[in-house]
Amino acid sequence: MEKSKINIYQEAILSKAELSTRRLFLKQCGMGLGAVALSQLLGSCVPGGNTTGINPVQYDPNNPMLPRPPHFPGKAKSVIYLHMAGAPSQLEMFDFKPDLAKLDGQLCPESLLAGKRFAFIRGVPKMLGPQAKFQQRGQSGAWVSDILPHFAELADEVSFLKAVHTDQFNHAPAQLMMQTGSARLGRPSLGSWVTYGLGSENNNLPGFVVLTSGGQNPDAGKAVWGSGFLPSVYQGVQCRSAGEPVLYLQDPHGIDRDLRKASIDAINEVNRKTYEEFQDPEIMSRIAQYEMAYRMQVSAPEVMNINDEPEYIKEMYGVKPGKESFANNALLARKLIEKGVRFVQLYDWGWDTHGTSADGSVDIGLANKCREIDKSMSALILDLKQRGLLDETLVVWGSEFGRTPMQENRNGLELPFKGRDHHADAFTIWMCGGGIKKGVSFGETDEIGFSPISGKVSVFDVQATILNQLGFEHEKFTFPFQGRPFRLTDVEGEVIRAIV
Amino acid sequence: MKSSILQNSRYFLFSISLLLLLLLLANWVGLNQEPVHFNTQVKPIFNKRCISCHGGVKKNGGFSMMNRAEMLRPNESGKPAIVPGKPSESELMRRITHHDPEERMPFEAAPLSTAEIATLRQWIKEGAVWGTHWAYVPVQPVQVPSTKGFLGLFPQKNSDWAKSDIDKFILAEMQKQGLNPSPKADKATLLRRASLDLIGMPAPESIAKAYLQDNSPTAYEKLVDALLASPQFGERWASMWMDVARYADTKGYERDPGRQIWHYRDWLIRALNRDMPYNQFLVDQIAGDLLPNPSDEQYLATAFHRNTTTNDEGGTDNEEFRVAAVVDRVNTTFEGLLGTTFACTQCHGHPYEDIKHEEYYRVMAYFNNARDEDTYEEYPLLRHYPTADSVKLDSLCKWVAQVSTPQRSLELYTFLKTLQPSIYSIAGDQFVNSELYDTKTLVMRKDGVARFKQVGTYSATKLICRIRPHTEGGRWEIHADSVNGPLVLDFQVPSPEGGWRIVELDIKAPSGKHDLYWVYRNPGIKEITQGGIGFDWFHFTQPFPGKDDSDYAKYNADFWHLLNSKPPSTPVMVESPWFMQRKTHVFERGNWLVKGKEVEPGVPKILGTVDSKAPNNRLGFARWLSSAENPLTARTFINRLWEQIFGMGLVETLEDMGSQGSTPSHPELLDHLAWQFTHQQKWSIKTALKNIVSSNTYQQRAETSPQMQEKDPYNRYYARYPRVRLSAEQVRDQAMVLSGLLSPKMYGPGVMPYQPEGIWASPYGNEKWVQSQGEDRYRRAVYTYHKRTSAYPSMLTFDGTSRNVCTARRIRTNTPLQALVTLNDPVYVEAAQALAKRMRYAGTEVDHQIARGYYLALKHKIDAKKGAILVKLYQKALAKYQADPKLTQELLGEQKVKDPAAHAALTIVANAILNLDEVITKS
Repeated sequence: MEKSKINIYQEAILSKAELSTRRLFLKQCGMGLGAVALSQLLGSCVPGGNTTGINPVQYDPNNPMLPRPPHFPGKAKSVIYLHMAGAPSQLEMFDFKPDLAKLDGQLCPESLLAGKRFAFIRGVPKMLGPQAKFQQRGQSGAWVSDILPHFAELADEVSFLKAVHTDQFNHAPAQLMMQTGSARLGRPSLGSWVTYGLGSENNNLPGFVVLTSGGQNPDAGKAVWGSGFLPSVYQGVQCRSAGEPVLYLQDPHGIDRDLRKASIDAINEVNRKTYEEFQDPEIMSRIAQYEMAYRMQVSAPEVMNINDEPEYIKEMYGVKPGKESFANNALLARKLIEKGVRFVQLYDWGWDTHGTSADGSVDIGLANKCREIDKSMSALILDLKQRGLLDETLVVWGSEFGRTPMQENRNGLELPFKGRDHHADAFTIWMCGGGIKKGVSFGETDEIGFSPISGKVSVFDVQATILNQLGFEHEKFTFPFQGRPFRLTDVEGEVIRAIV
Repeated sequence: MKSSILQNSRYFLFSISLLLLLLLLANWVGLNQEPVHFNTQVKPIFNKRCISCHGGVKKNGGFSMMNRAEMLRPNESGKPAIVPGKPSESELMRRITHHDPEERMPFEAAPLSTAEIATLRQWIKEGAVWGTHWAYVPVQPVQVPSTKGFLGLFPQKNSDWAKSDIDKFILAEMQKQGLNPSPKADKATLLRRASLDLIGMPAPESIAKAYLQDNSPTAYEKLVDALLASPQFGERWASMWMDVARYADTKGYERDPGRQIWHYRDWLIRALNRDMPYNQFLVDQIAGDLLPNPSDEQYLATAFHRNTTTNDEGGTDNEEFRVAAVVDRVNTTFEGLLGTTFACTQCHGHPYEDIKHEEYYRVMAYFNNARDEDTYEEYPLLRHYPTADSVKLDSLCKWVAQVSTPQRSLELYTFLKTLQPSIYSIAGDQFVNSELYDTKTLVMRKDGVARFKQVGTYSATKLICRIRPHTEGGRWEIHADSVNGPLVLDFQVPSPEGGWRIVELDIKAPSGKHDLYWVYRNPGIKEITQGGIGFDWFHFTQPFPGKDDSDYAKYNADFWHLLNSKPPSTPVMVESPWFMQRKTHVFERGNWLVKGKEVEPGVPKILGTVDSKAPNNRLGFARWLSSAENPLTARTFINRLWEQIFGMGLVETLEDMGSQGSTPSHPELLDHLAWQFTHQQKWSIKTALKNIVSSNTYQQRAETSPQMQEKDPYNRYYARYPRVRLSAEQVRDQAMVLSGLLSPKMYGPGVMPYQPEGIWASPYGNEKWVQSQGEDRYRRAVYTYHKRTSAYPSMLTFDGTSRNVCTARRIRTNTPLQALVTLNDPVYVEAAQALAKRMRYAGTEVDHQIARGYYLALKHKIDAKKGAILVKLYQKALAKYQADPKLTQELLGEQKVKDPAAHAALTIVANAILNLDEVITKS
């Protein structure tokens, strides 16, 4: 009896999967059923080539997280993306500009301002020299300032992109640009694209996990981990390092694990009877999803529990158990990746250093924020490395834009603290692991860090490079929507070969 | 062998008659060679293999296949690629069959298949006849398929079943697939199905009871009528429309602050309940403000296009986000109302359809002259005066019409209702010692100057404006044409006490349009950084009329009373008057900063033309949109209704009926329904729905079989009723109804039912999710407060959308997170507790109680096996709770009940019932 049940179940899932994939496949080829010859069915969508740019991912709506191969074997299997929401100042962290120090306090040359728009700078601002001390680090001699003492030790592990630019200078649109490839709302996020493309290795956990710290969500809200036009199953699932790790994961008050198990079993048993009546394969999918929900209830709290980690690991990351912190999230990121989660996205809020308060200044506030992340992000790299996970895990650190070499003069006034305005033209991102070269600094800005002079890369180039590491040709990684194949990189993007 | 047969005359005769019969049959079936069909055979080859290089975007070699004229034009080689009637002289044929891969097309791709080449050859031979894609051809009346069979003599199998027109179309296709309709579903199933479809939740008890007890042949029709007439109808269909309208209670982007626009949601519910004809429904929403003497309701309808996101983030360019909103209006109109992909023509010609880049901006020109400019206050706003003030306004306007002109009366009415036409202070530029504070309002400091370009002053003698003095003393001057030009205004700024205020000032404005310079002087200010005066908006006008009338003082006082009152308001559309009209330009490659040639309003050529008698503005566009001749409007809407009822549209891609969209499963049925809708049903949504749910197609059973699954896995041929998971809204509403918790309260501001802590965390936003009290916790999903950057989490999990942009279609998913919601979300646990209470009314027997719960949910008697499973669950839970009173207490909380362990155990069963596939699914 038990055996035959399993057979019906498995058969249903399999046949539905087969049909679904076939249907989706047909749909994405833009053809009717009748028009398809068997040879085409068995071969690729467009035989021999890709004239339309359509290259659908063949996912099964009933098992949408099933792992799938990318276009070519990628060096990275998973991604940890550390996004510092608010835009940290590259001029105090990575982009060392001794000449800017000499210009400190002088009025900005008008020629620099011509045709530029700033979020808050009005009229003619003054230049602001670096507010941190810099040193060259390791074999590579990469410049990292003293406010990142732990990370400075790892300079040889990473590739720096020092001339990244975007075309948005407000947080929400720029975060959308960085994470979805469009400054407007409505496109899928990078993590959604990746889970859509690759599925996930762990079916007890969401494939795309988002962790936030700093007390606020990123400025663009949950749209930065939204699935846009992709099926909603690919949207990021926000997990929390304090409280319930996933919404509604905890058994309600007064229902313990045994009763929960018993009730899921009963629900599924009734559903199997319903399946016998209706023979609708969707019922079998629901049974599978309820089973998975139970497994998630069991395994997610385990993964999300950092208390059981050894003391030296907790110390290494500098975790703060029971609180929401970047350190906790960094450790969770490692744990999740270890369990086969495809994409872990961290947002840390509070990097918007305009100089309107001590916390929001590039000397005091920035150093404090750096202290919050320095130890834990360095620990993350070392921990991944010691577990042999770094080679297949791409770690990306960055933000939505950078900050100006000028001191902010909001409303034309001198501010009480030292701050910098939003700057879209040049900022720094670093990547590490997942097949990224070690100890490379690519790109250079002018002597004051205002404009790129070499190795200028765009947001789309960064995205193309991330996809490339995962095994995707970004130009062929598409989803059909509104009558055309959409891609993360729109009509742009080039893989940054210098760092891969 | 052969000869032996021929020798046999009987065989010969038989063969002849067989041949004759075959010929007849062949004729009947239509085996004679038909000409190649452009839309279904040729265009798909173009779209798939050719058009990305030779289409609306790229025209490699000067060759494009967008339309026949372009295709036949000589290309860069000097020769045309196609010579109609002569495949052998056509370069296209030579190139697609070329042996040299360097020459062969498609370039650097696999060659066309032999069949494709043959199709193209035959098509050219037949004259290369072009065809318009079906969706762009105006809807024509369609012949309903006959259910008479072979030679029209014998009734076809199942012809009894095919009663309605819908059934006849469905049956014809079904039989081609070798399928047969399913039997009619039982009454209980139909009750639940029709209720969920028409009112989005289980039917109220009175309607359900009346139907189940009625054994007359009209019982079902009466049920449908009762559901269509119930007020919950409007709530259910408003939910659908709010996805199209991207309705939200917040503005979007970084701060995502609240927006008061729920009056629009209430308008929707009322309009749908009244069964407002769909064409009027569209006209009011697109251009209600442009109708003669628009009513409040007509203004409210236009909030449809004020549901665009706006950005309050500091430093944003207001014009950029104004343009973004206009672009969104165009895209929403096309995707949501016309089922056409249009957004791509923002940057270049349409890659697949014959729509030009410029045509996008011609449509945009219709939407480019509304008065909204991404202001912080979201002007223009419709002011909702309390009744007493509305009465004042009415009599004021009547009086003005008498002492002055009806035109002046209308002007004053519009101004008091919408504060329009006004110039916003964010329109200023060339700031000296002045700036847009946080990019929201103009603030001037000591010796500040700001310019307002090309203001139509037209000899105005009064300036009404909203100002906020910051510092004692100071003069505000306005000069025309230059900082030292003629003085228009010289005003001693009043004391800062009292904050923002509206003042009326005497001015001497020149005629026509002028650049105006604001100058602020205040020698009293020592600090250069100190703010002197703030501005919000300006309204140039003439003195209040009727100076000599005895009632002047009274009405002038009323005018100021109304103007200074602060009634609640809703963002609406108000068109710019002629002197404030913007010019619309093509944006080169879609970049709003690079303006190309100027364009006039107009619609894409392939979609017909605007009636030359209609006004050349948004209203004219709305009339075109809502006319029966528009090829897309009715088809799109009927397709949407069908999708709501059957889970999938007749064209699966609701958002795209163009040549790249899905092929319709029943094109003739779609056209027939669209024709009926526009020509026979007077655009009545309720009539169209009744027509669909009255069909036998709709009333079939949902059971399927492996054979059926194999022949039609996605039920595209409707040989059974499709089982569809409930929508996010239906899941909640059903739980509220089954538990008896649902509040019947309609309308009003968005409510905040239980939501876990810490979900809202917008930077710089002070707004909090404050759980509603009392019945507001148990309202229908349509009233749940919708924050764009953080929508209600349990609804998002069930594929609800964030509503940042138009969502033409929700894609259903099936995930473990959905299970977690209905299992563990305290909202559903509370519902289970309440359902358990209702179950206990069935008596003391557990199986009766469980049967009652199941019956409440599904209107069916529970199957014995299922009952046994649930009883087993009950007993397990009961044992647990009896042994663990603390656990019982935790589950029941404050509730005081008899036999707590039994009640807790029943709650576990109720929770299971709310999670059953049958309950989560419509079948």
